[in-house]
Amino acid sequence: MIRIKKVELSLAERVKSHIDAITTAVKQAIRPDRITVEYPRERRRYPDIFRGFIVFDKDKCISCFRCAQICPANAIKMEFYDRYYPSIDYAKCIFCHFCVDSCPTGALRTSKVHDIAFKSLEEMHLHTTQIMKIPEIIREDKVTVEYEIKDGKWRLVRKKELDKLEVEVPPPVIKPRKAFCIEPENCLGCRLCVTVCPQEAITFDRKKAMIRINLEKCVGCGLCVRQCPMQILELKVVA
Amino acid sequence: MVMGVIGYLYGLFTSNMMDIPLIKPLVDYLLNIPGINFIVALILWRPFFAIAIAPGLGALMLYLLWIVYFERKLTARVQWRVGPLEVCRPIRGLIQALADGIRYFFQEAIVHREAHKPYFIQLPILAFIPVLIPIMFIPAGKVVGIKSDYAIQLIVAFIALIPITIIAIGWASNSRFAYIGSVREAFMYFAYEVPFVIAVISMIFIYGSGNPYTAVEKQAIVPGAILNPIAFIVYMIAMLMATSRLPFEIPEADQEIAFGPFVEYSGILFGLVMTLAYEKLYIMALLFTILFLGGWSGPPIPILGDLAPVIWLVLKTVIAISILVIVRSIYARYRLDQAIRLGWSSMLGLSLISLVVCAAVRWIL
Repeated sequence: MIRIKKVELSLAERVKSHIDAITTAVKQAIRPDRITVEYPRERRRYPDIFRGFIVFDKDKCISCFRCAQICPANAIKMEFYDRYYPSIDYAKCIFCHFCVDSCPTGALRTSKVHDIAFKSLEEMHLHTTQIMKIPEIIREDKVTVEYEIKDGKWRLVRKKELDKLEVEVPPPVIKPRKAFCIEPENCLGCRLCVTVCPQEAITFDRKKAMIRINLEKCVGCGLCVRQCPMQILELKVVA
Repeated sequence: MVMGVIGYLYGLFTSNMMDIPLIKPLVDYLLNIPGINFIVALILWRPFFAIAIAPGLGALMLYLLWIVYFERKLTARVQWRVGPLEVCRPIRGLIQALADGIRYFFQEAIVHREAHKPYFIQLPILAFIPVLIPIMFIPAGKVVGIKSDYAIQLIVAFIALIPITIIAIGWASNSRFAYIGSVREAFMYFAYEVPFVIAVISMIFIYGSGNPYTAVEKQAIVPGAILNPIAFIVYMIAMLMATSRLPFEIPEADQEIAFGPFVEYSGILFGLVMTLAYEKLYIMALLFTILFLGGWSGPPIPILGDLAPVIWLVLKTVIAISILVIVRSIYARYRLDQAIRLGWSSMLGLSLISLVVCAAVRWIL
């Protein structure tokens, strides 16, 4: 059995702890470490890896569908313009940013925008054209609040400056990849890869009953690799 | 006949008028206008000024507006919050208490079915009588309602009446929480009253009289807080206990019994009972200033004349209270039994020691 003893303090220790408490309170009353952020008049400085509104760059996209396939909430739907591009349903999005992480070319990137209002559920489905830049925001904030950790103690620092909401992401190191058929003799001739290829880089040779990949048209999206029932297609790094 | 009475009253008022050099030309001008001169003479009649304006009702209202805001703001700052802010942003929410008061005023005052209806409605208003009567005996220089050689004793006696009205409020509410709250109020009354009275008696013993004028005269060189520091501490703790400030916020305990005796009140009635503790604090702090902080003595301001001592008294009181409210954010609340033990052991002991100290001080002087 554990007995809890009463903490015995000498008179000097008691007086000291009282004085400590009073000085702390007086110090805080004069110069408080206020942690309330007066949003929207103040805005916290979020880190660059903040998971906010997702911005899409059309020029980098290779229509590989990876974002749509990895999305655990089924929030991303591909829309067809000249190619297939993602559109995001923010009614479903859980801001896991798997799509941003999975994007092989860095076409999707994050931003520090976390405060968007929608008027209806339908409006929350943002089309590709609406996610190409961060939405229009009326900036009411004049102060940026930041946590500063020094010598194991943290405090809030308020600076009279505006935080940039767009995030500059260094472009990912891309090794160019192309699709190759590694075991052509096992090809069933089902032509799924031909149907699925958005670049129309794969053609079917009826005489040889084999597929032929036009490496100049191939962008290495890997759709055919994921589609092939025999799993004989592979993405290989091209020097 | 009527003109005779008015003339007699006018003569009475003008014979004992406030002498303020700053507004003297204006007063002289207004006194020449018939009709208005009677009102001006009444307002500037010293007893009326003491009770109705300062240090009486007017100062009390201003103090209430200040202290409710200041206490919330100070606690918020110590607790890393912002506190009242949105009511008027350019002055950081300074008129929050005024806004609350207006809201209480227009809110519906609900009288529930089980309440003793006449008492339930009357008592918040009746509770003002023991709060306002002591103001008559508190002088500020020449400004005084009733001069008395036993003013300090009378103030203490009327302060002792306030808990009775609070207990009556709890009884009239006829609800569980109000019942618990009134019982706690009664227990706290037992805890602080004896040391409080002994502390005051020891100070009266030092000054040799219950007359505030004598008390302030005797403090011309050394304030009472230094003459008898033990009585000073006892009075301060008793003041916290009596007005249910936070370390002893036992009768009102927001978290457990939701404002104790006042739980059933709403609307303007709640506004009245909620400020009761603050008003009691004001009266006790006025007495505190007179007994320990040198009363209305201060650097003379010739241009304000009779108003200067009033300003010094109210200013000292408000500053003393403003410093005192910080304990709210430092200490946690005592349990009822702990508070009573404190009252009947340490505080009673200290107050008895203060009697010994005052005997020693009197022997030296």
